[in-house]
Amino acid sequence: MTRELDSALIGAALLVALLGVIMIYSAGPQDDPAAYGGGDGPWRKQAIYGVVAVVLTMVVVFLPYKLLHSLAYVLYAVSLLSLIAVLLWGTGEQASRWLEVGPVRLQPAEFAKLAVIIALARYLGDLRAEEVSGPRAFCGAFLIAAVPLVLVARQPDLGTGMAFGAALFPMLYWAGMRRAYIFCIISPMFSVIFSLEELWQGVAPFVFAVFVVVSSIAIHFLLGRLWATATMVVVNLSAGLITAYLWKNLLHDYQKERILTFLDPESDRLRAGWNIIQSKIAIGSGGVTGKGLLKGTQTRFEFLPAAHTDFIFSVIGEELGFVGAMAVLALFSFLVSRALQIGYLAQSRFYSLLAIGLAALLAFHVFVNIGMAIGLMPVTGLPLPFLSYGGSSLLASFLGIGLLLHVYAYRHEY
Amino acid sequence: MNISSLDDRDKGRRMRHLLGFALGLFCLLAVRLFYLQITSAEDYARESEENCIAQKRIKAPRGIIFDREKRILARNRGLYTISLERTNKRNYDEVVHSLQQALGEDWVPQDYNKRAKFIRLLRDVDFRTVSIVEERLQDRWPLLGIEIEAQRFYPEGSLAAHLLGYMGELREADLQGRRIKNHVAGDYFGKTGVERVYEDLLRGEDGVRYLEVDAERRTIREFTEREQPAQKGQDLTLTIDLNVQRAAEEALPDSLSGAVVALNAQTGAVLALVSKPTFDPNIFVSFRAQGERRRVLQSKTALLNRTTQGQYPPGSTLKMLAAVAGLETGNTDTLSTFPACAGSLRVGDVVFRCYRGKRHGSLNLIEAIEASCNIYFHHLAQNLSIEEWWAFGQKFGFGEPTGLDAEPREMGGLLPSREYFQQTQGWTQGHLMNLVIGQGSMLATPIQMARYTAALANGGYLVRPYVYGDPGEPVKIAGVSAGTYDIIKKSMRRVVYGEHGTGSAARIDRLVVSGKSGTSQVPNRKEDDAWFVAFAPYDKPLIAVAVVVEGGGPGGSVAGPVARRVIEAFAGFESVVQDPAEPKPARSAETAGQERRGGLPFDA
Repeated sequence: MTRELDSALIGAALLVALLGVIMIYSAGPQDDPAAYGGGDGPWRKQAIYGVVAVVLTMVVVFLPYKLLHSLAYVLYAVSLLSLIAVLLWGTGEQASRWLEVGPVRLQPAEFAKLAVIIALARYLGDLRAEEVSGPRAFCGAFLIAAVPLVLVARQPDLGTGMAFGAALFPMLYWAGMRRAYIFCIISPMFSVIFSLEELWQGVAPFVFAVFVVVSSIAIHFLLGRLWATATMVVVNLSAGLITAYLWKNLLHDYQKERILTFLDPESDRLRAGWNIIQSKIAIGSGGVTGKGLLKGTQTRFEFLPAAHTDFIFSVIGEELGFVGAMAVLALFSFLVSRALQIGYLAQSRFYSLLAIGLAALLAFHVFVNIGMAIGLMPVTGLPLPFLSYGGSSLLASFLGIGLLLHVYAYRHEY
Repeated sequence: MNISSLDDRDKGRRMRHLLGFALGLFCLLAVRLFYLQITSAEDYARESEENCIAQKRIKAPRGIIFDREKRILARNRGLYTISLERTNKRNYDEVVHSLQQALGEDWVPQDYNKRAKFIRLLRDVDFRTVSIVEERLQDRWPLLGIEIEAQRFYPEGSLAAHLLGYMGELREADLQGRRIKNHVAGDYFGKTGVERVYEDLLRGEDGVRYLEVDAERRTIREFTEREQPAQKGQDLTLTIDLNVQRAAEEALPDSLSGAVVALNAQTGAVLALVSKPTFDPNIFVSFRAQGERRRVLQSKTALLNRTTQGQYPPGSTLKMLAAVAGLETGNTDTLSTFPACAGSLRVGDVVFRCYRGKRHGSLNLIEAIEASCNIYFHHLAQNLSIEEWWAFGQKFGFGEPTGLDAEPREMGGLLPSREYFQQTQGWTQGHLMNLVIGQGSMLATPIQMARYTAALANGGYLVRPYVYGDPGEPVKIAGVSAGTYDIIKKSMRRVVYGEHGTGSAARIDRLVVSGKSGTSQVPNRKEDDAWFVAFAPYDKPLIAVAVVVEGGGPGGSVAGPVARRVIEAFAGFESVVQDPAEPKPARSAETAGQERRGGLPFDA
């Protein structure tokens, strides 16, 4: 049986992965022939993982139609169990993220992201569009995303936890939830952020007030019902006031400091801010065309930590410059738009939602990781798909591509 | 069209929103990248050149190793190193060239390595070199640095080298795959012995210093308030006694191969551990002794810890094991004799000979141990079963490592069983006739022999030898009566003081020594190995010693004096004086318990 392959999609993914191997080589350590036991650099491992990942991708493409639909909750249950196993037996330096199975070290959270999206696609896909805006549908979908979020956040790995939520809202929207409802759900979270006094240095009450007013007007405009607007004003106000109260009276200084350095790393230049400052210097000093492969001084002199994993984009920015960085961004933009397009084309609700979820997940990773490297987002351990060194991340990224190709192949089926 | 899905217009609108949102986020990234890389590129390029704050590691001083009396066995000393910060190859060649010219020496520099943060050009240099670099070269080459490094130093040289172990440099390759806490390539870490086993305690924790540096990596200022100080490693006080150790080292000349183990007979605390030939652990950290280091590493013989890794046939020193087995199984007692010794015994086609063909005549057990008569034990072996002998051998710790903490690669020797022979040469009772006199396939390490001697002396407590920490309670050997130990100890005293005793060379003036000689034949070696095991004082045993001299010849006259000097050194500071002719009555049960628990002055 032959299937139609979306060669542009797989081609773009392979191109990014290849660039990843090159940049990991450049970030070093390269091979050291003098070392006994081979002394292979991490780029070799990444290349091997890449080959394995492509093979798995092809396996996913040729799965029978709707097999995923029937297995959705099984996959979800397995991934929950693996996350619990990580909490019990996990290994890792700062956070226990890895599960060691024989010689293989896996990061189950990377695969759980895919399982959650498949489960959400099944759950929302089985509902009718009108049902999605009801509270029961939202609660079910919220639970599907929240359970793994809590498990992952306990590792602790907040960035990955947030990735589960990131796929939830676009999928709800695509499944038919009203825009206004989504806005209503999200706005209290903003209220919390806007009411943190230390973050806005004195102008917090003003920022918060402006937000409440603007959001209330928006909700009133979207819903057109006075009672709903009133409810949202109360919810937003209380979220902000409770946050302010908790912040003032219940949190210890060290807890506040931890939250603040998470949100604003540059307040602690030598420790938490170190990565961000060095990463920005790396990218900024790259200029238009970069310093050239293997010539990044920030990378070479080890000013840049985790250069081949979380901060791989900083190496690209330093060594390949604005041109290289924009090329990477363009490739990711293409991948995300293409994924959305596949979601649009798919006739089956399940497959369509699956593609939208995958697109959202990819976009979230790219935005958070690159945003971190250029100082727009807080530091989280979220990898850059296809580029960051790490077998689990690379495998999961390619499995995502495999799922998209699978959806594309069956796009005409209901 | 599926009724449950959105209509086409709504679908299109929602798709535009999603696409717009995602691309909007990416545009945000693009704008920020433009700002960083185009608008403020120059600022960042300058910052990158001037960068800026460097983290420097403060190495934690390694813990000091003391003997039981707080005399230093291993400490750290400072030395000057001329180093070069990371630079390019051309710069490197120029620096090396001018350094060679200034010093007028023709040294070969370390290979240029572009990944190394520091290149250590010259280590352990004298003060003249330091001043030349400081005055003449540093102005031209600011990347040239003078560092003070800590180096492990063993003030007593080769003393207790096998026990202390030696240090080695950690290479990049050693770190791959394995995660060694708190180590980076170029660090020194313990490779053998105490240095290795207690690495985590000795090492301490490194600190961090934050420095602001200029484009040429010169320090502008320090952020002292951020400094995380290093935590010194833990000092270790070992059970070793420097006096006993030194006496043992001197008693066994460097020209010989062999081993000496001295234990506290009650607790298993190691008092001395000597393996010859030996080496000076300083050569493994020195930068001037490469030749010596290579020689030691290649020959292997000096690095072998014979006390724990040397496996020898123990010869007649093992006869007490057969005696215990014989007494406990009722196959002999102190009165009965076997057919008189006429210098040899024929069993079938095989002739067993007494040592050097001596004719001992008719002997009882005590006399047979005193004169070390093989024929008596051959007769005993004809009545014993190998299972009986093997079971007692196991109880006294043969056939498995003693668990000495300072040696992770300890060997277990070989306590052959009937199955062993069935699988190898085939079983005949003749094998047991060899085993009971410590020959045949029997192999033991010197530390096993010392522990066995301690157990015979202390009334059947099998200790775990240790140099640091808590060894746990010794295990009482089951199924051996107190009377049996009395007989064995009496026999061993007669070995040293009896008319026909083979161990008279171990006598000392001030206390009663008991022992047993052994002269064992080793396949493929012309000369016999000389053995001696001993304990003292007789009725309150505090020290147990095992000595082996490879190819030394007769045990009593070669290994015996070594044991004597070890016990003498021990007695030198411990005034246990007794009249050899009239041993005092055995101590009361009450004090015995106290002493074993650690009331003794010899506990660690």
